[in-house]
Amino acid sequence: MHKGTSTKTWAILMVSPFVLCFILFWLAPMLLGLWVSLHNWNLSSGNNGFVGLQNYVDILTPGSLYNEAFMLALKNTLVFVVISVPPLVIIALGLALVLDNLPTRLKPVFRTIYFVSYSISVTAVSAIFLWLFNENGGFINNLLVSIGILDQPINWLSEQPYAWLSILIATVWWTIGFNMMLFINALDEVDPSLYEAADLDGANAFRKFIYITLPQIKNVAFFIIIMTVIASFNLYGQSRLITAGGPEQSTTTLTMGIQNTVFGMNQLGIGSSMAILMGIIMLLVTAAQYFMSYRKKEVN
Amino acid sequence: MKSFKWLVLLIASVLVLGACSGGNNASKSKDGKIQISFINGFTGGDGAYMKKITDGFNASQDKYEIVESQEKDHYTKYKSGDYDMVVIHGNNLETYRLDGMIQEVGPLYEKAGLKESDFHQAGMDLAKLDGKLYGFPIDIHPLTMFYNKEFTQEAPKTYEDLKKLNADLQAKNKDLYALGVPSSGLVEFYMLMIAAQNGVDLQDGNALNFAQPEYADALMTFHDMVWKDKVSPAGLGLDGEFKTFMKEADSGKAVQSAIALTGPWYYAAAKEKFGDSLGVAPIPQIGKQQAAYGNAHMLAVSASVEDEEVKEGIAEFAKYMFTPENLINWADGGQAPVHLKTIEKVTAEKDKYQIAYQNSLQFDSYVAPPQVYQYGEQIRYMNEKVFSKLVGTENLTADQLMKELESATKKAQQIAETQPK
Amino acid sequence: MRRKQKNIIIVTLAVLIAILFLLPLVWMVFTSFKTLSESMSSSAILPKVWTLQNYVDIFSPTSDAPILLWVFNTAVITAVGTILVVVIDILAAYSLARLNVPGKNIIIGIIIMALTIPGIVTLFPAFYIFKSFNLLDTFIPLILPYTASTMGVFLIYNFLVSFPKDLEEAAYLDGASQMQILRHVIFPAIKPVAVTLGVITFMGIYNDYLWPSLVINSNEMKTLTLGIATLIQGSNFVNPAGMMAATMVATIPAIVVFLVANKYFVKSVTNSGIK
Repeated sequence: MHKGTSTKTWAILMVSPFVLCFILFWLAPMLLGLWVSLHNWNLSSGNNGFVGLQNYVDILTPGSLYNEAFMLALKNTLVFVVISVPPLVIIALGLALVLDNLPTRLKPVFRTIYFVSYSISVTAVSAIFLWLFNENGGFINNLLVSIGILDQPINWLSEQPYAWLSILIATVWWTIGFNMMLFINALDEVDPSLYEAADLDGANAFRKFIYITLPQIKNVAFFIIIMTVIASFNLYGQSRLITAGGPEQSTTTLTMGIQNTVFGMNQLGIGSSMAILMGIIMLLVTAAQYFMSYRKKEVN
Repeated sequence: MKSFKWLVLLIASVLVLGACSGGNNASKSKDGKIQISFINGFTGGDGAYMKKITDGFNASQDKYEIVESQEKDHYTKYKSGDYDMVVIHGNNLETYRLDGMIQEVGPLYEKAGLKESDFHQAGMDLAKLDGKLYGFPIDIHPLTMFYNKEFTQEAPKTYEDLKKLNADLQAKNKDLYALGVPSSGLVEFYMLMIAAQNGVDLQDGNALNFAQPEYADALMTFHDMVWKDKVSPAGLGLDGEFKTFMKEADSGKAVQSAIALTGPWYYAAAKEKFGDSLGVAPIPQIGKQQAAYGNAHMLAVSASVEDEEVKEGIAEFAKYMFTPENLINWADGGQAPVHLKTIEKVTAEKDKYQIAYQNSLQFDSYVAPPQVYQYGEQIRYMNEKVFSKLVGTENLTADQLMKELESATKKAQQIAETQPK
Repeated sequence: MRRKQKNIIIVTLAVLIAILFLLPLVWMVFTSFKTLSESMSSSAILPKVWTLQNYVDIFSPTSDAPILLWVFNTAVITAVGTILVVVIDILAAYSLARLNVPGKNIIIGIIIMALTIPGIVTLFPAFYIFKSFNLLDTFIPLILPYTASTMGVFLIYNFLVSFPKDLEEAAYLDGASQMQILRHVIFPAIKPVAVTLGVITFMGIYNDYLWPSLVINSNEMKTLTLGIATLIQGSNFVNPAGMMAATMVATIPAIVVFLVANKYFVKSVTNSGIK
C-alpha cells in the first residue's frame, strides 16, 4: 500500500521544505566553509588565493601563532569537558532522586524551583554570576567569610582553579534542570514491581539503586552524557562574559579562539580550518562514546 | 533528475533572497536628504553626547542627514557592513589604512575649512600616517587619575607620594590602599604608560618588541606595587582599579583605594558616588620621566566612499563637529577634545569641564601608541596573559618575565607578517 | 515512624538545595533596587536605600537599552522560528517514515551525520552568505538558519518508526487523504514529541548568543540574550544595579513563559521517548 504517484508527490512535497532549508542553511555554508578553509582568506582584503591544505598545516605545526592559539583553546575546552560533565550528570541524577523521594504534593513545587534557572538566558546568567563572584567584596566571598567557611576572600575570577570553578558553578546552576528532567522521566518509567520484588528480598535503598534503578536508566543516562559532552565542548557565553577568557587565557575556549582568529586577526581561512578541525574532533569524541556504549551492550 | 530539481529550487530561492539587496550609491531619505551612515562604538555613557552632536547637525541641515549607529562590536560591523564614516581608535588607524578600509582625508580638511594647526599636536601625531592625514582627531582619552579627597587632599605626583599615602592609610585601616592594580581590563594603558615614562620604544619595524631588558624592568614596577611596596592589594580582577576605588572598606571582606588610575569614562559614576570629594588630576610620575598614555577617537572615512556629494556631506559634518559650541558636548561627556579652540573653551570653564580640562593638561606629555599593523592583536598576549601573570605571581623572577616577553614578541612578529603587501 | 523521619530529612535537603537555586535570583532582585554607587560599594544583600531609578532609566526613551523592543524581537523570532522548525520537521519526518521518498536512506544518513557536527563549522560561512545577500541586521538570519537543524526530524522520525501503523492504514482504507491522515492520526500521536522539540527549539533560539552577535548590527534589532550581553560588556561602564534591573526585565517574561509551559513540558518529556 501507500503506492502510486499521488503518494510519491506528497512525499516529495512534504520533505522538500526541510531538504531545501537544510541545503541552504547547512550544506551550502558547510561546503563554503570547506572551500574557504583551502584559501588564504582575509576578512578585510578578501580572498588572496588558493593555498591547498596550508591552513591546516599551519594550525598543526608546533610553534606557529595559530597552532599555539588552537592548542591552548583545545586544551582549555577539554579541561572544561572533563570537569563539567561528571557534575552535570551526577548532580542532575541526585536532584532527580531527591525529587523522586519527596512526598507527592511537594514534587511539582521543588521541580519548578530546580528547573526555573534553565529559563534564564546565558547572558543573564553570566551577568548575575559575574557580580556574585566579584573578588573584592562580592556576595559569595562576603557570605563565605561571614559564615566562617573562608578566612579571606578568594579571587574567584582571576585565579585558577577558581575561575573554572566559577564557570562550572554558573553552568551547573543554569543547565542542570534540563538533565534533571530527563532523569526524572527515566526514573518514572522504572517498573514499580521491580522495587516491590526487591523489598521482599529485603534490599536496602543503596542496593536497589545500584541493581534496579541504574540498569533501568542506563540508556537515558548515556543520551544525557553525550548531550552534555557536546554542550560543554561548545562552551562560549559563560567563559566569554564571566571570565573573558582569563586569567592568563586559561578559560579561552575553542569557540572563542576561532572567533578571535576570524574577527580579531581577520584570518577567515585559518578560522574556517580551525572550525572544521573542531568539528572533526567532536565527531571523533561522539563516535568513541557511541562505540563504547555499543560494545558494553554487546558484552552484556 | 531529482538533484536538478533541487538545483533549480536553490537558484530560485537565491534569486528571491538576492532581489532584496540593492546597490550602494548615495542613498536618500524620504525628504530627499543625502544620507551618510556613521558607525561608532560609543555604547557607554558617552553615546548620548555624540548623539547630541549628530542630532544637532541633522537639525541644522536640509541637505545631508547622518544616520548614526552605536555598536559595542563596531569594528566587526564596520568590516562586514557598509558605512561611510567610522570612529576608529588612534591605535587602530594604521591597521585600517593598511587594510585599505579607510581613505585619506586631507582633501576633506580643505573642504571643511580645517587646518592641521587647528588641532593639538598630540592629535595630529595620531591622524598623520605616512605623511598623510587619515582621520580627524576627536579626543584623546589618557589614563586619568581620580582621587578621593577624604583620604588625600593633594593628588600624589610621584611614586614616593604614593608610598607615603599608602603608609598613612595602612596605619589607619588595613583595608585601605593607595591604589589598585587590575589584572585585566585597562592594562594596555598601564603597560604603554610605563613604557612611555621609562622612555622605552616598543616599535621595531612593523612589529612590537616587548623583549627589551629596560621594558622588563619598567613592567616590574607593577609587580612591586602589589608584592613589594604593597601600595595595591593583590588579586584584583577585571577593572579592579576602578572597582576598588568605588568600594567601601569592610573589615577583612572588602578593600578600598584612595586613588584610581583609570579611564575618564568612569567619571560620571565616580562623581555620583563621591560628589565634591572627587578629585581629578594628571597621572603621577611612576617611571623615570613624566609621560601620559591613552587612546584616542578619530573620525575616519570609509575607502568605499567615492560619491562627491557624500564627501561634501562628510566635510560639512566635520566642519560642524569641529566648532567649539558643538564639540563642547563631547567635553561635557567627559572626553578631552584635541581641537584647540574647543580646548580654550574647556579651559575657560575648567570647573564645569573638570575632567576634560585635567586631561587636556596631559596632552603635552602624551606619547602616542606605536603605529603598527594589527596593534590590538600584537599586544593581545601581553594584555591577556603577561600582565595578569606579572601582577598575580608573587615570586615572579626577571627571567620568567623575560621569557613571557619573548613569547609575546614572537606572536607580535607573526601577526605583523600578516600585513598586506 | 521511619517513613516520617525519612520525609523530614528529604524535605530539609530539598529546601536547602532550593535555597541555593534561588539565592542568585534573590540577589539579582535586591541589587536591581540599589543605587549605582551602593551597588558598587556595598557588600550587603539588602539595599540600604531602595530606588526605582534603575527601572526608570531602562524604560526611559533615551535609554541605550530598549528592553521592551528586545522582548518583542525575541518573541517574534522564537515564535516564528519554533513554529517553522516544528512544522517543517514533522512533515519531513512523516514523509521519511511513512511515504516512499526517493533517496530516503541517503537523506537519513546525512541527517544523522549532520547531527554530530557542531554549529561552529557552518557559523562563519553562513554569516558570509547572509552578508553577501545584504541580509544582516534583519530577522531573516535570526530565524531561517534554525530550520536546517536535523535533530527534530531525527526525533520524530525515530518516534514514528516505532509507532504502529494500524490506525493510518485503517484511515487510508477509509479513503482519507494524506493531509487528513497527518492531521487526525499522526499529529495527535506525535504531539508530545512535537512539544518537546518545540521547547528545545525555543530554548535554542532564545539562548543563542554567538550567532545573533554576528548578524545583528543595530540596537533595535537585538534579541534579549544579545542585548544583555552588550550591557555586560557595555564599553566603559560598570553598573551592577542597572545591569541587574535589565536582567530582571529580561528574565521575568522568560520565567512567566516557562511557568506556563512547565506543565506541558514535564508531561511531554515524560512521553517523548528521549531514551
